Amino acid sequence: MTRQEIEKEIINIFRREFEVENPGLDENLREAYEFDSIDAIELLLEIEKLLGFELTQEEKKQAMEIRTINQICDYIEGIISQRSLPGKK
Amino acid sequence: MERRVVITAASAITPIGHGKEQIVNSLQNGISGVKPLREDELISRFIHSKVYGTVDYAIDYDFKRQYRKTMAPCAYYACQVAKEVLAESGLGEEFITSGKLGVAFGSIHGSPITQRDIYRTFFGATDNEAYKKIGAVDYLKSMVHTTAVNITKMFGITGRVISSGTACTTSSQSIGYGYESVKFGMQEAMLCGGADEYDTITVAVFDNLLACSTAFNNDPQRTPRPFDKLRDGLVVAEGAGAVMLEEYEFARKRGANILAEVIGFACNNNGGDLILPNLDGITNTLRLGLENAKINPDEVDLISAHATATKMGDVIEAQAINNIFGNSPYVIGLKSYMGHTMAACGSIETILSLYLMQEGFIAPTLNLEEIDERCAMIKHVQKIIQHPVRIAAVQNFAFGGVNTALLIRKLS
Repeated sequence: MTRQEIEKEIINIFRREFEVENPGLDENLREAYEFDSIDAIELLLEIEKLLGFELTQEEKKQAMEIRTINQICDYIEGIISQRSLPGKK
Repeated sequence: MERRVVITAASAITPIGHGKEQIVNSLQNGISGVKPLREDELISRFIHSKVYGTVDYAIDYDFKRQYRKTMAPCAYYACQVAKEVLAESGLGEEFITSGKLGVAFGSIHGSPITQRDIYRTFFGATDNEAYKKIGAVDYLKSMVHTTAVNITKMFGITGRVISSGTACTTSSQSIGYGYESVKFGMQEAMLCGGADEYDTITVAVFDNLLACSTAFNNDPQRTPRPFDKLRDGLVVAEGAGAVMLEEYEFARKRGANILAEVIGFACNNNGGDLILPNLDGITNTLRLGLENAKINPDEVDLISAHATATKMGDVIEAQAINNIFGNSPYVIGLKSYMGHTMAACGSIETILSLYLMQEGFIAPTLNLEEIDERCAMIKHVQKIIQHPVRIAAVQNFAFGGVNTALLIRKLS
């Protein structure tokens, strides 16, 4: 999945699940849209669906500090690249 | 320190209408909100009582997603009446968020609709996928204080939170404890009430106790029938009610529209059986209410009885009223119009009594055609009468042996 594709999917998720239209990529989601820890948990479920595999508890905890769309994309890219390392499933 | 406490706003969502105009119209025209029990795709087919006090009209909710995500149907009701009461009160945002306003609001057991979904997931959780369907917000939607804290969140209220969950006395306690919070100087104002959503579990519980009405399944509007010879049990209902209580001087100085004064509250327990109505317990409640209000029994013009239309409950209540008030005040059973709205009933019945006080008429007990002779020693109302109401008493009694009495007075 390219960065552009990830970005498009995340923006779709925000529109569909969180009723947020066209968020700025570096906008602080908490400040701009009151995106809170409950939303973050819901977002992780959506990310699991997108990736087609389950995130570990450790991976999920890493996501709790995320504040922007760009950071979400970074996070997903990071997960994909970690999972593709030899010895990881 | 004892301060005077007044009601400055009120709103209700009931089976006979939303807001004063619709509700007063129903009371004036004898319109019932009891309808056929709705299918729940779970247990409704086994329930013998096929009637339900139904909110079947659309409500124009305008809540943002960040609020909706933690709200079950009971919280929708609660937040809507809270929103209307805050608007009617005219209190500004600065006061609302100052910590001087608290919330006393409850439901009988949170959101049964959400709980049902949680249990469905639990029992179906044969793999991890099913387990994960238990959402991050399910507890927030279903917990017993969900109505109160969804209100605090939506309006930024930072004062104390009281969330009684005492079945049928839930919201009479909300008003009573809210009244005491203001009376004794702990808060300047309290937003008080209760809400319950459509729920067949409650119907099933009463149905299995043989306490639900079953004889009028084909003619829902003829039941419940408080104090009537043919009464055959209660009708469960949904709805919500909220009032704003304020310290009198604070309300007067800011020019608030004062609807009535809360002059007394009593709450006690029967100290024994958790279900059976108890004459001594209830008689004491009514006496304690009058003592708290510092008034004589003959000063009360109207009693809104709990009057669920169960066989024994109505008889015991009539005896208790007669013990304390004799045959002096008019007695009405407002559940005859809509059934038993559970957590909401105390607040809804207080609000309806307030409307009667404002409009100068007394609505009859609906379906009271032939008074049961065991209930005949009090002054029933079978036809609408034009009569001023200066002081009203609102009585509620709950499973668990909890009893409450609230007294409100019209300000001259």
